[in-house]
Amino acid sequence: MRFRAKIVDVACLNHFTRVINTIAKLAKTCTLRLTVDKLYFILTDKVANGGVSMWCELNQGNFFDEFQMEGVAAEHNEIYLELTPENLSRALKTAQNAKTVKIKLTNKHCPCVTVAVELPSLSSSSRIVTHDIPVGVIPRRLWNDFREPSVPDFDVSIYLPVLKTMKSVVERMKNLSNCIVLEANLNGEMNLKIETDLVSVTTHFKGLGNPPWVSEDGSQNSTQDRDPESMAEARIDIRKLLQLLAGQQVNPTKALCNIVSKRIVHFILLHEEVSLQYFIPALA
Amino acid sequence: MKCVIAGTHLRVFGRAIHAIARISDEFWFDPNEKGLALRSVNSSRSAYACVFFSSMFFQYYCWTAEPELCQKKRQLPLTCKLVMKSVLPVFRWLNTLERNVEKCNIYTNVNDCHITFKLFCKHGIVKTYNLAFHESEPLQAVFSRHMCPNVLKIQSRLLTDIMIHFPTYQEEVTVAVTPMKVCFKSYTEEEIDFSKAMHTKIHLNPDEFDYFQIGVDSEVTFCLKELRGLLGFAEATSASVSIHFDVSGKPIAFSIEDMMVEASFVLATLADIENRESSQQSLCLSQRQKRPTLMKAHADNVENVSNNSADNNSNTETIASKKPCWTERAHSNTKLPVECRKPLSKGDDIIPIISKKDMNNIEVLDMSAAGDIKIVEEVVPSYSDQCKVHSYAIHQVLPIAILRNKTHFIKYCIFQFHSLFFGAVSLKEQDVISHTLHSLATASDAEDDFDNEQLSQVV
Repeated sequence: MRFRAKIVDVACLNHFTRVINTIAKLAKTCTLRLTVDKLYFILTDKVANGGVSMWCELNQGNFFDEFQMEGVAAEHNEIYLELTPENLSRALKTAQNAKTVKIKLTNKHCPCVTVAVELPSLSSSSRIVTHDIPVGVIPRRLWNDFREPSVPDFDVSIYLPVLKTMKSVVERMKNLSNCIVLEANLNGEMNLKIETDLVSVTTHFKGLGNPPWVSEDGSQNSTQDRDPESMAEARIDIRKLLQLLAGQQVNPTKALCNIVSKRIVHFILLHEEVSLQYFIPALA
Repeated sequence: MKCVIAGTHLRVFGRAIHAIARISDEFWFDPNEKGLALRSVNSSRSAYACVFFSSMFFQYYCWTAEPELCQKKRQLPLTCKLVMKSVLPVFRWLNTLERNVEKCNIYTNVNDCHITFKLFCKHGIVKTYNLAFHESEPLQAVFSRHMCPNVLKIQSRLLTDIMIHFPTYQEEVTVAVTPMKVCFKSYTEEEIDFSKAMHTKIHLNPDEFDYFQIGVDSEVTFCLKELRGLLGFAEATSASVSIHFDVSGKPIAFSIEDMMVEASFVLATLADIENRESSQQSLCLSQRQKRPTLMKAHADNVENVSNNSADNNSNTETIASKKPCWTERAHSNTKLPVECRKPLSKGDDIIPIISKKDMNNIEVLDMSAAGDIKIVEEVVPSYSDQCKVHSYAIHQVLPIAILRNKTHFIKYCIFQFHSLFFGAVSLKEQDVISHTLHSLATASDAEDDFDNEQLSQVV
């Protein structure tokens, strides 16, 4: 198992750091899956038990100048690591003006991801800062746990409103209640509702638009039969929603969510080089 | 004492207060004729800070308490012990302070034990803070920088840039030096799971330093949290920071020298012993020994000496336990030798003092005015072999640190110098002592002739 990667471009480094920061806000520990051309950050809490799950995909070519990976075996040319993204975020935080950043898999007292930052300095040789982040290597027999989640059979799919606005609305609501109802219809309308004994607050968003989905067999999407006015709703934990919204540092190119009525909400945030999927199960 | 600080200098003064706040909850205002010193020692005696403002720093500076006292023969500086919690709010918002305050008056009122900070702000606003203090002898670390074989001098900006790579929760940092390179690395205790903590290392080239002198390869571990205060202060003065240190176990000193301000932070370092199960090494608890015949100082530290001698052990431990980061973990830590400064009278030098507990284990030679040598306490047999090494230590060291005051010669100073140069030694743990002494024996030059009588000869 070998992994070596290098970032030289400041903009790429910046972008990569932002992605890591977002991941760090969403998960305390997650799985990093390395393949020849992609990196994946995966979190699979048992959705059935009420945990969120996350799937984030990056094209390595968009960030790294050099990328060499040798997996556990020739026919399974992948590496699965368990790590704490917060550590990676911290290591990259002070590296923003670096000449180069090298990330590699090493084995010090335990398997580590070593981030070696070469910083400019006044003297002839550069200052080198190394961070050794302990990781766990996930054995091949457990790889099945980390498969890409399939898009659920949703009732409504709708584009999200501007995330910053949505975030500030949800932030205010968080003070009033622990759960929020997210409902949307095929007319591009979305409501965020909270209801307590004392107060109920609803925020209405209109004109959001519904993304066109084509199912695999090419036939019309089943949602076409659905009454466009009818709302699909799901009651979710407000803190989990806020975690997702607060973690976004840059506005995504596309942001949408798929609602399976009373079951789960599936968020998809697409940036140029990164795609993030986030599943929040509905509360009983 | 009365002094006036101009608005432009308030930032530096405020930063000094903030820096000292990182060390301890209490500190001393210690004025003398040259200027005002702010001193602080942390509860586990593993960090000592002193920021000295020369009289030039102030718009007006008068160190005497009252004009009337000048008439009296006895001129005693008033040293106030203040609680950081009450002083910090005065200097909390440094940016606002700089913008709005034109000058700051500080004066002490001896009669009702109050110190007053008066901030004259813009628009005619005057903020007055009356804070209570109690008179107390400040503690000073006994540490001679010029004895350190390793000296580094680095721009404060650079030092901050280095420390920024360590996460804020990082408590301890190790600096490893050889004549070819310098490396700062994070330190984690062995008990903590290695597979959880992130390790950071920073490699530097010697030519990044303004001054680089390495006499002995060493790796010393010190508390970063306590240093961060100094770094903040250093940025305010934009001076360079000098680092003086030796091998592990001996203190490391970070100091800044400016035209008008001098700051010095002396931190204890982890002693490098194999047996890390020993409890807190304590030594040199410089609590004042009451000596009715000779000391006529403000015997204020009597409060520190426990009157019930049976309780001395617990006394040490309670103090030690106040600072969890150094005591709860079972590793040995060297305490700084500190001493209490008594008011200068008859040209006395600083006299090392000891706690009552330590008295049980050492020999005190108390020379009365008549010049007779009188042995006050007996040496505990278990310690006698160790005394040999200690006396050897003093043999080497005495020429440098001279006790000019002949009326007092305390054998305890052995321990003081010993801890200065060889690391602190616990009086309790035999294993630790034997091991440390072993390392002492091997580390030092082989000088064979030592025995107890030499002490009197030296005197």
